[in-house]
Amino acid sequence: MDLSFTPEEQKFREEIRAWVKENLPQDISHKVHNALELTRDDLQRWAKILGKKGWLGYGWPKEFGGPGWTAVEKHLFEEEAALAGAPRIIPFGPVMVAPVIMAYGNPEQQKRFLPGIASGEVWWSQGYSEPGSGSDLASVKTKAERQGDKYIVNGQKTWTTLGQYGDWMFNLVRTSNEGKPQTGISFLLLDMKSKGVTVRPIKLLDGGHEVNEVFFDNVEVPAENLIGEENKGWTYAKHLLSHERTNIADVNRAKRELERLKRLAKSEGVWEDARFRDEIAKLEVDVVALEMLVLRVLSAATSGKNSLDIAGLLKIKGSEIQQRYSELMMLAGGPYSLPLIREAMEAGWQGNFPGGHPQLAPLTSTYFNMRKTTIYGGSNEVQRNIVAQTVLG
Amino acid sequence: MDFNFSDDQQQLRDAVAKWVEKGYGFERRRGIEAAGGFSREAWDELAELGLGGLYIPEDEGGLGMGPVEGMVVMEELGRGIVLEPLAQSFIAGALLAGHADADTKDNWLPRIAGGQALVVLAYQERKARYRLDVCDAKAQKAGDGFTLHATKSLVPAGDEADAFLVPAQLDGKIALFLVERAADGVAARGYGTQDGSRAAEVVFDGATATLVTRDGLAALEHGVDIGIASTCAEAVGVMDQTLAATVEYMNTRKQFGVAIATFQALRHRVADMKMQVELARSMSYYASLKLNAPAAERRQAMARAKYQLGVSMRFVGQQSVQLHGGIGVTDEYIGSHYFRRLTQLEMIFGDSMHHLGEVSARMQDTAGVFA
Repeated sequence: MDLSFTPEEQKFREEIRAWVKENLPQDISHKVHNALELTRDDLQRWAKILGKKGWLGYGWPKEFGGPGWTAVEKHLFEEEAALAGAPRIIPFGPVMVAPVIMAYGNPEQQKRFLPGIASGEVWWSQGYSEPGSGSDLASVKTKAERQGDKYIVNGQKTWTTLGQYGDWMFNLVRTSNEGKPQTGISFLLLDMKSKGVTVRPIKLLDGGHEVNEVFFDNVEVPAENLIGEENKGWTYAKHLLSHERTNIADVNRAKRELERLKRLAKSEGVWEDARFRDEIAKLEVDVVALEMLVLRVLSAATSGKNSLDIAGLLKIKGSEIQQRYSELMMLAGGPYSLPLIREAMEAGWQGNFPGGHPQLAPLTSTYFNMRKTTIYGGSNEVQRNIVAQTVLG
Repeated sequence: MDFNFSDDQQQLRDAVAKWVEKGYGFERRRGIEAAGGFSREAWDELAELGLGGLYIPEDEGGLGMGPVEGMVVMEELGRGIVLEPLAQSFIAGALLAGHADADTKDNWLPRIAGGQALVVLAYQERKARYRLDVCDAKAQKAGDGFTLHATKSLVPAGDEADAFLVPAQLDGKIALFLVERAADGVAARGYGTQDGSRAAEVVFDGATATLVTRDGLAALEHGVDIGIASTCAEAVGVMDQTLAATVEYMNTRKQFGVAIATFQALRHRVADMKMQVELARSMSYYASLKLNAPAAERRQAMARAKYQLGVSMRFVGQQSVQLHGGIGVTDEYIGSHYFRRLTQLEMIFGDSMHHLGEVSARMQDTAGVFA
């Protein structure tokens, strides 16, 4: 038992830290540290900087052009990037579809799609949820009918995060109604510029445009865009989830946001209020406990011993913590969290915020936005079902 | 970064687990509780395993081990809700080995290691609650030695102990003393506590005392921190058993024609219990792995850990009783004894509210396992 990183890992951390400091544009980290709006350009600029270094696919093995890092090294990279104020890597390409293409795609597909994902040139979106398929994902209805050397796709996807920027989309589509719902699903890659694709924004309660509806009206998709075998898509999608993915907990971002909460509590005068401060202290313990949980998973992954089947716990605790820090930040702002001045949430705004503290402008919108975290990626109630299954049988 | 146990640690765990399973069954424990809450016989059996000397250097007759081995042992004792206060030997062993003069060490350490001497912390005072720096006890120079005037409460197995480690004011500062129970002016009045174990009110009325260290508060804090890490580990063992018993019951008990384990409202409660157990285990590891850190870092880590463990213990204990229904509140059922133990473990060495205050007071700009 040892809580410390090895000298090699420490050295690795130093290298990452130095590189991030050198290469992360300050205008971007300023926005991240102050929860100001990130544009598509901000996100893609950082993705391309990472791509050029070969680190956008930071979880990739060497054979596909990734750095081949260990679980601990991946964690250290995430931590250094998060604490320095780097935006989250948009996961749909490098973290979600790429591993499926590596595991189940054919060499042509790998050659065709992976370079664009690795470089950050091609923006991917996820086509999983549908109006009738949320937590019950296996009930997807979007239909793909084989006609000669192509599929004709009809149906609707929803909650497509940042789909307005998407170049390509990976989809779970129904190719058969035989047998169990899971057995008639295929994994299909789709060019979003194809005829018959319509992307419509969904305005959310925080006023932002983060998610979309995507409609397919007789969209023609070449059959060569099918990953693996027809009707095996559910297996591939599950492969994606089965990885011991500690980043689902987002503990490194939580550490950064806890620091921000403390700064806000001081500037708003609630740091000395024992009732408020104790709430921060509780969150601090939560964050440390979550970090220990993550480190235990990393140790298990590295040593191959004592494997921990606790992805559900990481999702539940991580999302609850995200909601809590956004809630406490809003409460720290008090009444001055209430003015809704959209321009004040953008970098460089020179206006006069009520009370004179423009850093409070995004707090309530962020709080509203964070309600999603216990809903998406398998709602926390679904996660509890999964945890209970492992405990109770 | 490694949370695996070495082969030696695993063997130690197996040895203690075997003793708990074969030697410390529920019926024996029940008998010990009825007879007062402490068994010298069981204590000797723990000593035969070498456990009394776990923190004591090998040249003083101990095992020369440390916090991780202590954690492994306490987890297993927790599984058996063992009443005998082994962690007191960890504390006494570490404090005497770290601070006492050569004569005191040679006189006591081999006997603590061998189980012949039960030496326990006697620090609790009425006005102090969980604060360690509140101390009315007074020591005076008397010839070559010292005499002590104090009243200390909740001293573990206090009327069975052979000696006490007692903090007391000396020249305006808290110092730490060793006092034998057999000394003139020492009176111990024993009683049972809520978890079935034993404690005593100990009055020192001019008792002869040996000075262990003039830097008594630092030593007391160190001793209490060993106690906290040990309690955290013990609690993990109790919670593992509590959850296992709950799961078994839910898969057996039928209502409305089906096992109650099929009801989603109850299943989600079990998921929440599992969450608390794993957070607790994580923070117990954290506590033990920080026990040798510099004092400020160590104190902060213990506060964080004991807060988490306290919250987890209360949740797991209460939910287990609720999920069991009526059987959960009977004395006959072992589950109620887990619950009683968890309740008491939260309240020794500082409860959740106390440690939340400590965490709050010690917060820095940054936070994390390494900050």
